[in-house]
Amino acid sequence: MKKIFYILWGIAFILGCIGVAQRFMYGHELANYGNRVVWGLWVAMYIYFIGLSAGAFLLSSLVYVFKIKMFEKVGKLALITALVTLLCALLSIWFDLGHMWRAYEVITRPNLPHSMMAWMIWLYSAYFLLLVLETLYAFRIESGKYDGDKLKSYQKKLGILATIGIPLAIAFHGGVGALFGVVAANPMWHSALTPIFFLVGAIASGSALFTLIFAFFWDNKKGEYYQNMLKTLAKIVLVAVLFDVLLEWAELSIALWMGSPEHTAGFRAMLFGQYWYVFWIFHLLFGVVIPVWILATKKNGIAIGWASLLVAFTFIGVRLNIVVPGLIGEKIPGEASAYIQPRLTYNYFPSMMEWLVGIFIVAFGIGLFYLGNKYFKLTKENNSVKS
Amino acid sequence: MGNTKKNDRRDFLSKFGTAFIAGAALSPLISNASELLETENNVTEIKNFKGSFEDLLGGDYTNIKLRMQDDVRRALKKPMKDRKWAMAIDLRKCVGCNACTVACIAENALPPGVVYRPVIKEEIGTYPNVSKINLPKPCMQCDEPPCVDVCPVEATWKREDGIVVIDYEACIGCRYCMTACPYEHRMFDFGEKYSDGLPLVANYDKRPSFEYGKEWDREDRHSSPIGNVRKCTFCAHRLDEGLLPQCLTTCIGGANYFGDLNDEDSVIAKLVSRLNVFRLKEEMGTEPNVYYIR
Amino acid sequence: MKNKIKNNESRRSFIKKSALLGVAATGSLTGFSAIASMTEEEKRKFMYELQKPENIIYSACLQCHNSCSIKGKVFDGKLGKIDGNPYSPQNMLPHLDYKSDIEFASDVDGKVCPKGQAGVQTLYDPYRVRKVLKRAGARGSNKWETVDFHQAIDELVNGGNLFGEGNVKGLKDIIVLRDPKVAKEMAADAKAFGKGKMTLEAFKAKHANNLDKLIDPNHPDLGPLNNKFVMMCGRIEHGRKEIGKRFAHGTMGSNNFFEHTTICEQSHHIAYKEVSNQWVVKDGKGKWTGGKTHLKPDILNSEFVIFFGTGAFEANFGKTSMAQKVTDGLVDRNLKLAVIDPRMSQTAAKAHWWVPIKPGTDAAFAWGMIRWIIENERFDKTALTNSNYAAAHETGETTISDATLLVKIENGKPTTFLRANEIGLGSSTDFVTMVDGKPTKLDIHGKKAIHGDLLTNTTIKGIEVKSSFQLVVDEAMSKTLGQWAGISGIKVNQITEIAKEFTSHGKKSAIDMYRGAVQHTNGYYNGVAIIYLNMLIGNTDWLGGMQVGGGHWHEDGSKHGIYNFKKANHPNKLTAFGPPITREKSRYEDYSLFRENGYPAKRNWYPHSGNIYQEILASGEDKYPYGIDFLFLHKGTPLLSAPGGNVAIDYVSDPKKLPIFIASDIVIGETSMFADYIIPDTTYMERWGTPHTTPDVAQKASKVRQPIVPSITEMVDINGEKMPINLEAAYIAIADKLGLSGFGENALDNGLPLTRPEDWYLKHVANIATEGKAKEATDEEMKIFESARRHFPKEYVNMDRFRKAVGGDESLFRKVVYILNRGGMFEDYAKSFAKAPYAEHQLKGFLKFFPENVAKTKNSITGVNYNGIGAYEVIKQMDGTPTGFETVKDDELIMSTFKEVFGGQSRTISNYWTQLSLDPENVLYINKVDADKRGLKNNDWVTLHSDSNPEGIVDLKNGTKIQVKSRVRVIQGVRPGVVTMSWHFGHWAYGSTDVVIDGETIKGDARRKDSACPNPIMAIDKSLNMCLTDPIGASASYFNTKVRIKRA
Ligand SMILES: Nc1nc2c(c(=O)[nH]1)N[C@H]1C(S)=C(S)[C@@H](COP(=O)(O)OP(=O)(O)OC[C@H]3O[C@@H](n4cnc5c(=O)[nH]c(N)nc54)[C@H](O)[C@@H]3O)O[C@H]1N2
Ligand SMILES: Nc1nc2c(c(=O)[nH]1)N[C@H]1C(S)=C(S)[C@@H](COP(=O)(O)OP(=O)(O)OC[C@H]3O[C@@H](n4cnc5c(=O)[nH]c(N)nc54)[C@H](O)[C@@H]3O)O[C@H]1N2
Ligand code: SF4
Ligand code: SF4
Ligand code: SF4
Ligand code: SF4
Ligand code: SF4
Ligand SMILES: [Mo]
Repeated sequence: MKKIFYILWGIAFILGCIGVAQRFMYGHELANYGNRVVWGLWVAMYIYFIGLSAGAFLLSSLVYVFKIKMFEKVGKLALITALVTLLCALLSIWFDLGHMWRAYEVITRPNLPHSMMAWMIWLYSAYFLLLVLETLYAFRIESGKYDGDKLKSYQKKLGILATIGIPLAIAFHGGVGALFGVVAANPMWHSALTPIFFLVGAIASGSALFTLIFAFFWDNKKGEYYQNMLKTLAKIVLVAVLFDVLLEWAELSIALWMGSPEHTAGFRAMLFGQYWYVFWIFHLLFGVVIPVWILATKKNGIAIGWASLLVAFTFIGVRLNIVVPGLIGEKIPGEASAYIQPRLTYNYFPSMMEWLVGIFIVAFGIGLFYLGNKYFKLTKENNSVKS
Repeated sequence: MGNTKKNDRRDFLSKFGTAFIAGAALSPLISNASELLETENNVTEIKNFKGSFEDLLGGDYTNIKLRMQDDVRRALKKPMKDRKWAMAIDLRKCVGCNACTVACIAENALPPGVVYRPVIKEEIGTYPNVSKINLPKPCMQCDEPPCVDVCPVEATWKREDGIVVIDYEACIGCRYCMTACPYEHRMFDFGEKYSDGLPLVANYDKRPSFEYGKEWDREDRHSSPIGNVRKCTFCAHRLDEGLLPQCLTTCIGGANYFGDLNDEDSVIAKLVSRLNVFRLKEEMGTEPNVYYIR
Repeated sequence: MKNKIKNNESRRSFIKKSALLGVAATGSLTGFSAIASMTEEEKRKFMYELQKPENIIYSACLQCHNSCSIKGKVFDGKLGKIDGNPYSPQNMLPHLDYKSDIEFASDVDGKVCPKGQAGVQTLYDPYRVRKVLKRAGARGSNKWETVDFHQAIDELVNGGNLFGEGNVKGLKDIIVLRDPKVAKEMAADAKAFGKGKMTLEAFKAKHANNLDKLIDPNHPDLGPLNNKFVMMCGRIEHGRKEIGKRFAHGTMGSNNFFEHTTICEQSHHIAYKEVSNQWVVKDGKGKWTGGKTHLKPDILNSEFVIFFGTGAFEANFGKTSMAQKVTDGLVDRNLKLAVIDPRMSQTAAKAHWWVPIKPGTDAAFAWGMIRWIIENERFDKTALTNSNYAAAHETGETTISDATLLVKIENGKPTTFLRANEIGLGSSTDFVTMVDGKPTKLDIHGKKAIHGDLLTNTTIKGIEVKSSFQLVVDEAMSKTLGQWAGISGIKVNQITEIAKEFTSHGKKSAIDMYRGAVQHTNGYYNGVAIIYLNMLIGNTDWLGGMQVGGGHWHEDGSKHGIYNFKKANHPNKLTAFGPPITREKSRYEDYSLFRENGYPAKRNWYPHSGNIYQEILASGEDKYPYGIDFLFLHKGTPLLSAPGGNVAIDYVSDPKKLPIFIASDIVIGETSMFADYIIPDTTYMERWGTPHTTPDVAQKASKVRQPIVPSITEMVDINGEKMPINLEAAYIAIADKLGLSGFGENALDNGLPLTRPEDWYLKHVANIATEGKAKEATDEEMKIFESARRHFPKEYVNMDRFRKAVGGDESLFRKVVYILNRGGMFEDYAKSFAKAPYAEHQLKGFLKFFPENVAKTKNSITGVNYNGIGAYEVIKQMDGTPTGFETVKDDELIMSTFKEVFGGQSRTISNYWTQLSLDPENVLYINKVDADKRGLKNNDWVTLHSDSNPEGIVDLKNGTKIQVKSRVRVIQGVRPGVVTMSWHFGHWAYGSTDVVIDGETIKGDARRKDSACPNPIMAIDKSLNMCLTDPIGASASYFNTKVRIKRA
């Protein structure tokens, strides 16, 4: 089993490196996004990972802010998950930049307060710092090396950081949603619901990721803790997914109900366009119907794990369905046939290089998590300290 | 070329009632405009730039293109902040030839996939009552440009004279501005060449672009403007030299007008106040500086 | 302004400076590139590289044959950008005064169309041929080897076993008649023999020593063996045309030099020419000569313009100059338009009337209008009753017509004009008209004004006569308006409304027509009928009416030039004789073949037309009247461009039928791929020329094409002169090798040489300079001239050599430079209005409703006379049998074709900016009604089939068969029942396929292959192995095919 995992990971990593090499050598030449569908897989992966991170982080807050006992043992796991997925997110968007080596400019010359992207960058820089600090304190606290005042102060600091973290996570992930939401030129994105939709999606996908990690990798699968925790997590995921679907329904029904053709084009493309299956099969069937059914009816770890895996994995489809359909409509009718070149078409399917880089990012994340887990023994039940 | 002589000629010719005054694109406006020109030609300051382009015409007629070039040079005498460049496109005169599209590509050495001035064409009606519409679409140089606000690194801004520019050396290529432009104007330079895959790299793919008054080579895949978002600048590099935008100069339908809106005597200022003028997606509140006439 | 030159910073230092500034700029966060940090003062010093006068060379475009004036902007020794030349009336409205300072003008860019803008992509096409190619496999196998230029010339001249396929004749065995004196004498005698004025025996006796030099000693009137050398030139243009004729006729002694005009618009030219040729009396004998082949509306002053089968915005001669005149007119004046075209063109889209006429019926529409105009007496009666110039002068007209002239009628058909001597009124050079019912002798140049009667139908002294106008009336009245409209498939009110509008603006209405009206088997007649409309309102030479255009100064030196190339400057020139292989400009009845065979002739003879492109290969294959030994193709691709041109693949691909075939081309083209040798050519941006200007331009204009950049073809040394390989170099080398006249040392009068292209072209510019009284270039201008050419190798472009080519006279040279610095010589704008209300440049001619010349000739196959007036005829084969085109079966559609504004014939497929991006593949435009009927949707693939090509296939005879196949585009803007397709696609060569050169495979670009060309399915005249053809004007028929489409 492990062997297969190592081999698969190894292959994925090597393939990923090929993609990365291509990316560095040929710039964006081998990418399939263009000047109409300007963002593609990587941006979708970016918001996907950011969502995962925010979701995992919010789970961690259950311990550090709301002091919910039950979650204490998994606090660090949640933090590390949030950290790793954040790194994956940053990596995704970094590859997407036209000038990767100018990325520092977002810090040195931010367009504040105008640019939602600048806001987002500052917010997640802060979030990143916070995560690192929080993780540090969490480990210190639980290392057992400190006691007394020191421990207290650490606990207090951790509490404060975590408390700041909640609005920060909400703000920055809502900010990612706002990044799309504020684009008035894009009717599909331009909705007050967008940031909220992003948040709920973050909770759904982040908690699902966490649940699947917990379900599959928690060492003591026999214990009561495992069962209880699993039940709770399953509920969280279930509620979050259902809420997400509700929001989706709100968004879709309002937009499509007698909506002007211009406003509904993106949604129609999503539902009935070339990639209809991403919505109906990938997202709705595998990401909602099946997992909801499992989560609502099944209690065992494997089932819940698989259901969560479905939710977490298929959520990339939801993210793609935000990025791509929003871009495949002509903003001015006739644009598509005005000048005909591959980069000016309204079709998009990721290129091999994009997939490979995507694989690299995923392999990178998994590898990092694996190392982290191995080193910090995050999934060992008795490794956790009682508060 | 004294004024008296000029007028004599006009009288002489107009006796025959022939519509020989060509280039009278603004026929109702042109008469006072050319008088205006006559008085203004005496203002030495204006002549100083290079003299009047209309002096290049010996006869008693006017050329709207040269007048506009004079308008541009007159505007250049003012500080940048006092100019406000605008373009008008008369759709009744646009014949859908795409000369502007290609002139722009050639002038700015645009790679495949980047086009600053597509012409959107549409057939309307049902046989036999059919017609065609052509709509050239450069950057609108919006007064409220959504593309500018979204840029995370202030790599794009509105110049004092109204032109929305991109600093190729700052742009990180995030492409956020592309999504924000309601006119789908901005384009990313993927670093491709028209002769990619052919037996040799063609010279037309090697010529640098002169945008923003610099030479931007395409030799290296990783250097600007490759990896940048690009856009129409109203040919700022030409404009700053007192030259008209290249799409205008080559227009075979004579459908383009350009100049300084702040100059009440300019061709453009006179045009955009007319009844049959509209702007694209007015409802977006972007306040475009490209006007259409129909 | 001065600082432009004084402040002559080199580019390098400029870069350095801006690079420095650039560094400073990136230092600050919101800072910007160099220019932003410059002060206004500094900015002014930044002289835009592409706009500096010393980086500009004016020349002439040739992406299409408008040959617009262009401004080539050179960057780094390469052509960086093309714009319009503001000095030229074609490219700026109004254009700059000719005397304007070049430094000043450098800042003004004129207009060019999208093809013009994309010229650099033609110049730097990666598939250009740079060295001489010789086939290294069977013809058409796409296998080549490069050979040395001189070796190639040697092989072509001497022949031998060149391809391992056995011995091949060299030029030395074909160009056998080399004695100018003998040729001259033989020519005269052959002519006499042909006409039956000399016996064969007498001829043979007189030329016994030279009979072996004839194609057929028993038919000496067919000319010398030299005629088996055939030059077939596609889009050759002025300058090159003349030097080509010099080479073919004078040097090689062959009567076979052809342009491609019949696949272009020839019947239009011939219609105008026959209507406008002049009755010239010399030595007591009258003759019809001259005639204008092309008139155009003076759109600038028109109030109503009708376009028949053409427009102002997409093709025609030509959009770049015409478009703005029309748009300005529509918006700023009261111009109205009508467009007669089955397709909704861009022009039709802006017109007040669009008449989607049934193809091939333009004459019927015109006759409908004529009938209405006559019935309602809306014609210009005064103008038409002017029987001679004196009368015209009296009534303020510049032209006269034959409306009142009497025509003899035999067996109900008009035959010839009645001459005064036939009824005893005067001489045989005078005509007759009725004045108040009284026959009156008419000398058209007579002093006394004669206003004749318009309608005459009578018998004088037993001779039945009608006035020309009566003939027109009879024809117009032969059908009702409803019938005329019915033939054209349109509504009667479309005829009446347009006729009314046309006759509501006095002289300020005009009609233009082009390919759509004339590229039919009835093309000549359609053309004539349309011209009648202009004649009815007598609009020629009036501002706002039809104009002859400004014309040009005579670069051939025939008028006030210093080097007369028309009459002199070719010592030892050969006299070519015998009928051209196409039998053009030749009467069958004047040849011995007629006396032997009578009617029907094997193929038609064409006394009225010329440059009959589709006949060249078909006649060569048919060996009628003789075969081709050596085919020299230049800048043409007949296999692709002619309707059904592909039928000739059989012929050109077979060395047994066509012994040697060479091509001058810039790429390996659809036809040149079958050649034995390809001699690379310079593109229009690398060579010289003296193109002419469309009559749409009212001002006189002599354009000069000159090299803007050094050629990318290989440089060769021909007797010490270094030049790039091209057509001229081939002429010079071949003539030199054969030891023939016309090229080389002492090729011109006074011992002057013609050893490099400039020797020819600069003398032509010198002729313009002398006739046009050019100014001398100043020292400053001389400096700019030289500096603008600094990127040329010295041995290639060299001031001293240029000076010598002009003749050595410094003053003349400066005048030449003055012209070159402006891309030609152009009359000032206002000049064209100086004679208001008349045009400055006038026809002042005799226009005829009854072109007698045509009525006198017979179709050589049927032996029947042609119709004297422009009657409506159905679509026919050459032998007169109708093709049945008019009745369309349910599964059939009429195939039409047109030009897109971005396509320059078939030669812009390399233009990725335009053709391959604006609409990258050819589509079959079909009306929604027809698509629905067939269940076709947008973008469905269909194959095309016709009776002539039932399978819809082009067989390249090299193993490749191409299916004619395209997507459909369902539109409203085309007449139901008609489908149409542009012609710029469907390549099977031109860089679209892999070729092997010297064993190395050069990959083709598949984008160039996409989709189809409609020509291979077009109708063939079966017995003639070529497309349907107009027997009079000889136009190839592009619009008379019925197709079936099948879903692919
Ligand atoms: N863009 C472009 N311009 C060019 C050229 C080029 O290659 N490209 N080439 C130049 C040359 S060489 C030429 S000859 C000219 C040609 O100039 P045009 O004659 O203007 O060009 P075409 O498109 O060949 O014209 C054919 C038109 O006639 C219509 N037509 C077809 N059948 C009929 C009919 O039976 N009756 C009538 N009334 N109309 C009919 C077609 O729909 C089409 O619109 O263009 C010149 N200008
Ligand atoms: N279906 C359809 N067919 C048409 C027409 C149409 O409207 N529809 N239009 C017709 C008309 S109007 C015309 S004029 C003809 C034109 O037809 P042609 O005169 O036969 O051909 P072109 O396409 O102009 O180009 C001929 C070839 O010349 C070569 N060439 C290009 N540039 C150069 C050069 O600079 N030097 C040399 N030596 N060779 C060069 C290339 O191989 C090219 O293939 O096509 C006709 N064919
Ligand atoms: S048109 Fe688009 S790119 Fe241009 S200024 Fe407006 S928003 Fe910006
Ligand atoms: S692509 Fe460049 S200009 Fe556009 S938003 Fe990003 S950094 Fe700014
Ligand atoms: S103004 Fe200049 S940059 Fe803008 S579309 Fe026109 S040619 Fe292109
Ligand atoms: S060049 Fe002029 S006429 Fe042609 S498409 Fe552009 S705006 Fe229209
Ligand atoms: S009309 Fe023809 S000659 Fe003129 S610029 Fe266009 S392609 Fe060139
Ligand atoms: Mo043509």
